[in-house]
Amino acid sequence: MRKQTLIRLMAHCLGWWAWGGVLSLGAAEHRPYPILMQHCWTCHGGPAREAELDLRSRSDMLKGGRSGPAVVPGRPDESPLIQRIRDGACPPNRRLVEANVKPVPDSSLELLRRWVADGAPEETVPLDVAGTPADPLVKEKDRDFWAFRPARRPPLPQWPEGDVAKGVRHPVDAFIVEKLAGQRLSLNPEASKQVLLRRLYFDLHGLPPTPAETSAFLEDDSPDAYERLVDRLLESPRYGERWGRYWLDIAGYSDVEGKREQHLPRPHNYRYRDYVIRAFNDDKPYDRFLLEQLAGDELADYEHAAEITPELYDNLVATAFLRQGPDPTWANITGFVPDRLDVIGDAVDVLGSGVLGLTLKCARCHNHKFDPLPARDYYRLTDIFKGVLDEYDWLKPGLQPYGGAGNSGPLKERTLPFVTTVERVAWEKERDRIQAEIHGETQKLEREEEQVRKRFLEAEIAKLPDSEKGLAWNYVSDPKRASVDLATNLVATFAKSLAPDRARLKEYDADFKRRWDALAALRRTVPEEPRVAALWDRGRPSPTYVYLRGDPQRIGPRVQPGVPAVLDSPERPWGATPPWPGSGKTGRRLSFARWLTHSEHPLTSRVLVNRVWKHHFGRGLVRTLDNFGRTGAAPTHPELLDWLAVTFVESGWRWKPLHRLLLTSAVYRQSSRISEASRQRDPENLLWSHMPLKRLDAEALWDACISVAGARDDTMFGPAVPVVEQPDGSVTPGKQGDRWRRSIYGQQTRKSIPTLLESFDLPPMNPNCVQRSESNVPTQALNLLNDVVLRQLAARLALRIEREEQGSVDARIILAFEIAYARNPEPEEMAASRQLLRVGPDGDRETGLNLLCRMLMNSAEFLYVD
Amino acid sequence: MVGGVWGAALSQLVRAELPPVQGSARLTPRASHFPGRARSVIQLFMNGGPSQMDLLDPKPELNRRHGQSYFDKIAGEVENISAAGSILRCPFSFAQHGQSGQWMSELLPNLARCADDLAVLRGMHTTNLTHEPALNIIQSGQMRTGHPVMGSWIVYGLGTENQNLPAYVVLDDPDGMPVNGIENWTSGFLPPIYQGTRFRSRGQPVLNLRPEKEDAPEAARAARDFLRDLDRRHLGQRPHQPALEGRIESYELAGRMQLAAGDALDLTQESETTLASYGVGKAPMDSYARRCVIARRLVERGVRFVQIFINGQIWDHHTGIESGLRSACLKTDLPIAALLMDLKQRGLLDSTLVVWGGEFGRLPIAQLTEDKSDKNAGRDHNKNAFTTWMAGGGVRGGTVFGETDELGMSAVNGLVSVPDWHATILHLLGIDHEELFFERTGLREKLTGVTHARVVKEILA
Repeated sequence: MRKQTLIRLMAHCLGWWAWGGVLSLGAAEHRPYPILMQHCWTCHGGPAREAELDLRSRSDMLKGGRSGPAVVPGRPDESPLIQRIRDGACPPNRRLVEANVKPVPDSSLELLRRWVADGAPEETVPLDVAGTPADPLVKEKDRDFWAFRPARRPPLPQWPEGDVAKGVRHPVDAFIVEKLAGQRLSLNPEASKQVLLRRLYFDLHGLPPTPAETSAFLEDDSPDAYERLVDRLLESPRYGERWGRYWLDIAGYSDVEGKREQHLPRPHNYRYRDYVIRAFNDDKPYDRFLLEQLAGDELADYEHAAEITPELYDNLVATAFLRQGPDPTWANITGFVPDRLDVIGDAVDVLGSGVLGLTLKCARCHNHKFDPLPARDYYRLTDIFKGVLDEYDWLKPGLQPYGGAGNSGPLKERTLPFVTTVERVAWEKERDRIQAEIHGETQKLEREEEQVRKRFLEAEIAKLPDSEKGLAWNYVSDPKRASVDLATNLVATFAKSLAPDRARLKEYDADFKRRWDALAALRRTVPEEPRVAALWDRGRPSPTYVYLRGDPQRIGPRVQPGVPAVLDSPERPWGATPPWPGSGKTGRRLSFARWLTHSEHPLTSRVLVNRVWKHHFGRGLVRTLDNFGRTGAAPTHPELLDWLAVTFVESGWRWKPLHRLLLTSAVYRQSSRISEASRQRDPENLLWSHMPLKRLDAEALWDACISVAGARDDTMFGPAVPVVEQPDGSVTPGKQGDRWRRSIYGQQTRKSIPTLLESFDLPPMNPNCVQRSESNVPTQALNLLNDVVLRQLAARLALRIEREEQGSVDARIILAFEIAYARNPEPEEMAASRQLLRVGPDGDRETGLNLLCRMLMNSAEFLYVD
Repeated sequence: MVGGVWGAALSQLVRAELPPVQGSARLTPRASHFPGRARSVIQLFMNGGPSQMDLLDPKPELNRRHGQSYFDKIAGEVENISAAGSILRCPFSFAQHGQSGQWMSELLPNLARCADDLAVLRGMHTTNLTHEPALNIIQSGQMRTGHPVMGSWIVYGLGTENQNLPAYVVLDDPDGMPVNGIENWTSGFLPPIYQGTRFRSRGQPVLNLRPEKEDAPEAARAARDFLRDLDRRHLGQRPHQPALEGRIESYELAGRMQLAAGDALDLTQESETTLASYGVGKAPMDSYARRCVIARRLVERGVRFVQIFINGQIWDHHTGIESGLRSACLKTDLPIAALLMDLKQRGLLDSTLVVWGGEFGRLPIAQLTEDKSDKNAGRDHNKNAFTTWMAGGGVRGGTVFGETDELGMSAVNGLVSVPDWHATILHLLGIDHEELFFERTGLREKLTGVTHARVVKEILA
């Protein structure tokens, strides 16, 4: 018994050492499935079983299809499988692109032939099973890296003696102050209320405070005014629109598929965006948020549910998280296995960079060079997702009628009809109502058509010479019989003029035409079926092999699903079971999501609190938000990171308490002024000796511009507001009407990014964005100064000021500063503004107030938050 | 997305080499790894995939075997299977030109006059036969989107010599964008200052360079002064904030760019003779000719990388290749030859690398229309062989490197992969492709990626 284990173990290790791919297989080893998978299963396996033949297992092959067994063990030349490939009949050359397969190379055919000759045995290559006690690839010492050990709550540091503490008693401050004290530094004094107000508004809403909000806060002298403001901001729906956007960056949210010239729209995807916004506003716990997004389809049975509740709906909508990456596979020519693997690779990358803080994608082609992530673990992980992302059983993006070459072939849907029962019933009712109306009107019009025809014929025949009138009436009542007696030329004339089709009748009777047109218009109002873009486990994943160097042609060991070995732990067991009896789903992702959200998981909570920290404090405690591995940056305050992570999990993985905790610290409330001491001893502000100055990101800038202009439309949710490509090549958000929605509702494309937002670093999602860059280029100045839409907004701000303040010039100037900066102008600014306001309108050129507004929107103070 | 190492390197750079203003600092000229031969690059991008066997890689065997079946041998390499026909002859005649005896198709009579300046690469090959991914490969080295293109890498590495003009200028066709649109000049994960800036040859050269309606001069001045004072006050109250200093500088740079860009695009400064030599004012090459003249004016002014596009895919001859190629060559042949000769005459060709080519080549077999007639036949995409050329900037003129099989289906000798081609261009600029990197998620990202890339030494002067 023991000997056997030892031999198995040795074979296992050897298997890993002998990674040479297919060609290195020894004489006695056989592995037919990868070849069959690559070249045959599209038509003979999975849902398509052409000629009733399934080649996915040995027994299926022996059973065969319509023309008998596919394989005759020991007799390759009599096996149809071999014959048909050898003769070039399969895969058929003329259907290669449509089926997304390549011809079978001679070397593969030879391997299949040898396999059949040897009696077509089951695969003989050892199977990799995760959790093998001795792992040759991940050692115990690999687990000894800080980020792979669970976070433990550290004790709060002792308050330092003397001035530095300045009475600070907040736990976050304790950690920060301790390090500062080490450099003989202290926190900056608290920023002014005005600064804090603006800081909070932009941090939680991505919007500036209105003058009314400003004065309300500045006049509130109660001791907890600040805390109450934090609470109020967290309760506003504007919070989800700001923080949801950060999550959409991680997911790589996009309203188009991408990668091809014509970007195929994703018409149902906005539901995912709305789900994210709602999740933030509802303070959905992060563990639940992840469970839904990674395995919502396995959380509860939606297929047999009596009612699709909002909860079931959320479960399904959330799964689109893994479908945000660029995806060209709707087109045949870019739908081959390598293209599909890129899509899967992007999903793994999103998960790795966004949630795990690991550069998993490196392990797609080779063992990770720095972290203990063997390629094997990458493929184990992809096997977890194989129930939904299976490169050999691929669902293509739904295709609307669409131009372009070679988009035929069997298409499968990526959407489900499971919107909430309430929505669905409402849709059905509306559809039925309109259809009934259409039906009624159609019948009415068809009946009326006879009357119109009669009037038409009377009018036409009246025009004929008297000699022909009788003949004409005869013709009309029975063309066939009448034609026998008529002269040929007359038959032709009558056929042309006296047999009107509907188009002719519409020409004749304008009212008749108008009613048909109205009917056609009515038809267009039949609402489309509401559907959910989702992923759902389909129950029979293809086997997973390691692809050597990431190349699906070079097959390495076959793996079973499993989590990265370095994160595997007896305390956090992983093993898939079907989520509910008879579900037909593998349950792999659900088990994975539960493993990921285990309270002791070393990465999930740390990565998340680090991100929240980054958005509030300008830089992560781990600067590389997406990389907690060896090549990532070490945490500047490891104890604080762990303290926050543990606190976050213990308070139920909820975001809002975490915000509250961070925002009420003295670290957050300190001013952004850079003192001489801080410049000397903390030049990069690694210790947070001051609050960093933050530039508005693209969305906050746009949202601020439409807000101050008084243009902002706070309508929430729904299909994306399309971007518009202008003739001059610029791209603007939205058309007339809905263009002033917040930027999160604007269409997120990969190529047409609104010009202004792009210049302020709004990135295309390829596949996601783990950290925005922050550039400083003259095109920003040019756009802010000269862009037509920006000028419109400045003019609207001027109009708003004129409307709201009809008093003195000075009062208007004060209002302008209050709106733009949430403060009053200083005397010099007042003087300069008065002077600018003296610039009169010159023809249809801008007024001084316009100029003032535009310059305020161009100024550094508008763009930066202290 | 900016990697830590890059950030650190940048701040060092700023401290070591640069004037106090940080915002404009990132594009100041930087030393190359070793002395490069070229200072600037003009990329003549031929979107669509020009047919190698009809332009620069003669294949008499095609004519001999015209009409023979070949599809079954290459079935896995054909995009439009239902339209695949038999071997298609080359309808054009070839002749040798220059002292070097370069073979060129009759469609390139003007380029033929520059034969001795060209290094022709006949052994190029790529890894995808569809436009979008193949364009990503040729521009950025990666099939996937989101990686910086060659021009971005070059200005990231070398900066630029004229701070009043963008470092990397894209001259796209006013008639329309190339396939993949702005992704052809994306800086990917590099900061956006390294992306290509579009200069339009009609209307305003740069988007929003000027307002739609000009301000009254004194109003504009008053507004500018007001803004500058406002920003200076703001900065004065916030000492030691380099971002704010940089921002003030970028407003001033924007002002200078208004002048410099207008000047660079002002073709009235060119002599009639020069303009005529490019074909400016002459149909059908006027538009392309203008962009070629502008390209020269830009490299003259120190712009590092200029990329010229043609709308749509004029080289994508799936059908009617005989007339289609003729018209594509008519649009470009004279302007390109004039550009080479003009650069040479002004002594700029030695320091300017001109590269010509598309994203892939074409098949030896016909692609047929519904009528199945050879007359309207074209050629489908081919990733296994295509031809490009380089001139100037340290390239040995009059060279041919690489060889395809007898039908031009696959490169068989002197193979040049896209990463090889990138490495060669970087080398000519004095950049070691292994050493030009950007640290991201624990990886040293490079233009040439993780694949081995070889500088094509055979074409260096």
